[in-house]
Amino acid sequence: MRWRLARTLWLVQFAYMAEYRAEIALWALSGVLPFIMLGLWSAAGNGTGLELGLSPAELGRYFLCVFVVRQFSVVWVVWQFEEDALQGRLSPYLLQPLHPLWRYVAAHQAEQATRLPFVLLIASLFFALQPQAFAWPGPAGVLLGVLAVGLAFAINFLLQSLIATLCFWSERASALERLLYVPTVFLSGLVAPLQAFPPELRRLALHTPFPYLIGFPAQVLAGNPMGEGQTFDLAAGFAAMALWIALLLPLLALLWGAGVRRYSAMGA
Amino acid sequence: MAIVMARGLRKTFRVADKQPGLMGTLRHLVRRRWRSVEAVRDVSFSIEPGEVVGFLGPNGAGKTTTLKLLSGLIHPSAGEVMVAGHRPFRRRRPFLESITLVMGQKQQLIWDLPPLDSLRVNAAVYGIDDLEARRRVAELAEMLELGEELTRPVRKLSLGQRMKAELLAALLHRPRVLFLDEPTLGLDVNAQARVRQFLADYNRRTGATVLLTSHYMADITALCPRVLLIHQGALFHDGGLAELSERLAPWRQVRLELGAVLPAEQLAAYGEIESLEGREVRLLIPRERLTATVSRLLTQLPVLDLEVSDPPIEELIGRLFRQGTVEP
Amino acid sequence: MELPMRYLISLRRFWGTALATQLEYQLNALIELLAMAGNLAGSLLVLWLFYRQGVALGGWSWNAVLVVLGAYTCLDGLTSTLLRPNLSRIVNHVQEGTLDFVLLKPIDSQFWLSLRTLSPAGLPELVVGVALMLWAGRRELGTLPPSAVGLAALLLLAAAVTLYALWFVLAATSIWFVKTWNATEVLRAALTAGRYPVSAYPSGLRTLFTLVLPVAFLTTVPAEALLGRLSLAGAVTSLLVAGVALAISRAFWGFALRFYTSASS
Repeated sequence: MRWRLARTLWLVQFAYMAEYRAEIALWALSGVLPFIMLGLWSAAGNGTGLELGLSPAELGRYFLCVFVVRQFSVVWVVWQFEEDALQGRLSPYLLQPLHPLWRYVAAHQAEQATRLPFVLLIASLFFALQPQAFAWPGPAGVLLGVLAVGLAFAINFLLQSLIATLCFWSERASALERLLYVPTVFLSGLVAPLQAFPPELRRLALHTPFPYLIGFPAQVLAGNPMGEGQTFDLAAGFAAMALWIALLLPLLALLWGAGVRRYSAMGA
Repeated sequence: MAIVMARGLRKTFRVADKQPGLMGTLRHLVRRRWRSVEAVRDVSFSIEPGEVVGFLGPNGAGKTTTLKLLSGLIHPSAGEVMVAGHRPFRRRRPFLESITLVMGQKQQLIWDLPPLDSLRVNAAVYGIDDLEARRRVAELAEMLELGEELTRPVRKLSLGQRMKAELLAALLHRPRVLFLDEPTLGLDVNAQARVRQFLADYNRRTGATVLLTSHYMADITALCPRVLLIHQGALFHDGGLAELSERLAPWRQVRLELGAVLPAEQLAAYGEIESLEGREVRLLIPRERLTATVSRLLTQLPVLDLEVSDPPIEELIGRLFRQGTVEP
Repeated sequence: MELPMRYLISLRRFWGTALATQLEYQLNALIELLAMAGNLAGSLLVLWLFYRQGVALGGWSWNAVLVVLGAYTCLDGLTSTLLRPNLSRIVNHVQEGTLDFVLLKPIDSQFWLSLRTLSPAGLPELVVGVALMLWAGRRELGTLPPSAVGLAALLLLAAAVTLYALWFVLAATSIWFVKTWNATEVLRAALTAGRYPVSAYPSGLRTLFTLVLPVAFLTTVPAEALLGRLSLAGAVTSLLVAGVALAISRAFWGFALRFYTSASS
């Protein structure tokens, strides 16, 4: 029964997203930042010796994986939720025997499925231009990579849903997302592999969820979870991801419950 | 001299035909098939300064397209238009300063601010100095019965108050020609009546020419001594409402109260059934056969009461539109 | 009332009303301010990751590269203050049909659409960008000759015009395709390359950022002007690019409008 519900929900969302494929292609393209950063890092590496412990091919593969991970862990639940709240669609959702957040999960996954062809296209283009960066990670590597990306999406979704839940209190909660975006860009490994960070800063970053959103899954996908710089240990990385999920999930449940109570008390 | 003149006005749109689905989309990209839609076909009329003219026609008849052609928002495909001595589609400043457009379902006022702020923007855009602008706002506000509403954010105003504020914003620059597209859309009956009253007063006071479209016949009957009926892009009638009803109604309406409930088939033999509720029937009967049919009715059916009247104009027009085609 | 005056007074009223709407959201301003500080700190962090290892991006010294970052911050501030709030509305105007009102105003429609509102939240970023340019330039050179400051200001203005024109053309395509708003997001993402001097990129990207996307003219050229490293040819090219881009944006808008006014129903 649950399975059928999930399937139906997903299929409906997929049909909806397919209508917007042109827009989604543009969204996919707007994630070009990793390629810009790759240009910067590879040009900088050509001159003096940058001590990253990554060969040019590994560097290229890392930033491509960053691009891919980002495509499949982007979360826009805050805006969707805010709009639904403002348009008054939330009340009927709350009356249905399905947690509203599942609806958004399905929408995100359907959107990712729509993105898949564009991502494959861009990745093939990248490898056509830089064939030396290509390496087949093997079936186990792919599985681990997909798992890491899935967990990264889960963490990101939980974080963003926490902010979305604040919409129960303030109409303008989406502005807070801009603040969360700052460390997501700079501490996650999106603009620089974590090996490039000085050790103290790296240790600090690893105590936040941000490296697990992009940097760690990208390294797993690229097949060098530890790099030469010992950034991530595979097992420790997955353990940290599980820990963040275990921490954020009850927090979200708590905040959501309080939010719904407030919402119904306001008689909205 | 006419203030609005249209001669042989035409507007043809090219519409791309697209089949649904992925295949349709692909085919659409490779080889587009175009279809021409004639929105306005050879329309000619002229309007004198100070007239109030109503545009009638079903949805998609070409009313809004005509209004857009007259206000200069779209180019005519053929024909000639002159409004206030200008060709509208050039949208030169003197032309724009002498017209205004009000659209019932669209708004120009800034949502989060009181109307007064939007009015100040309009005053600047039309180059009206502060003192004069204040005088005009006061005058129009009095006519529209707007007071403290002008200092309340637009989003907190009712639909009727908002429409009145929209009218104020549209009239601040004292246009000589008013184009109103469904100005009373969605308003309650009282608000409709007030807007109507204001437009009549404004026309009387300033001598401005008013062209309006409306779904509500009450707007047209109350305001417009002259109507232009557009049907499928062509001008079907230009003249008074009374003449229109003469033209449209070669029918009379006959209301019958019967002694028993009769089947529709039996009644249809006498004329077109307009309504049938129990023992009460309304029939439409051609004028020339009226006398003969009424005597047949009286002799052949158990008639308790009979009344002959002209059908109301709304019904006539509605009928015309439902029929689809008309012979001009 | 004289015509130029009418445009000036209109502009004052436009922005007066814009400020009035924004006053309701002070919290937003605070968040914008924090986000700006965070973004600037992040950009500095990235630069520092290179320079702490002794890598000079494209051969630019630490202070010189900060001048580029300052120019980028300034243009980003301009984007948040004027470009985004105004140009993102064109789509809505087309979708909701309120473009009709704009076209029937006795004022240039491109002027109205480009400058109708402003978002003060972006202003601090603009100021901080200029301050960073001047501060880092002073540290690099000791003193800044007024001629260099003047030229840099002129070229930054040219950069702003180029950026505006590019953005406006993309936004104007919404007359045909309602959904192209995302294309401007692609543009914005690609333009983040302007945080760093173009010479820091590999040759392929460098060509792309000079000939296809005018990233070089947006930030590197004004920074070079301030540091007194710009050739006359570079300055003239930058001004030409701005002039041509502006002319194209006007012509394109005229073309798009012709389409709108003959095709809308």
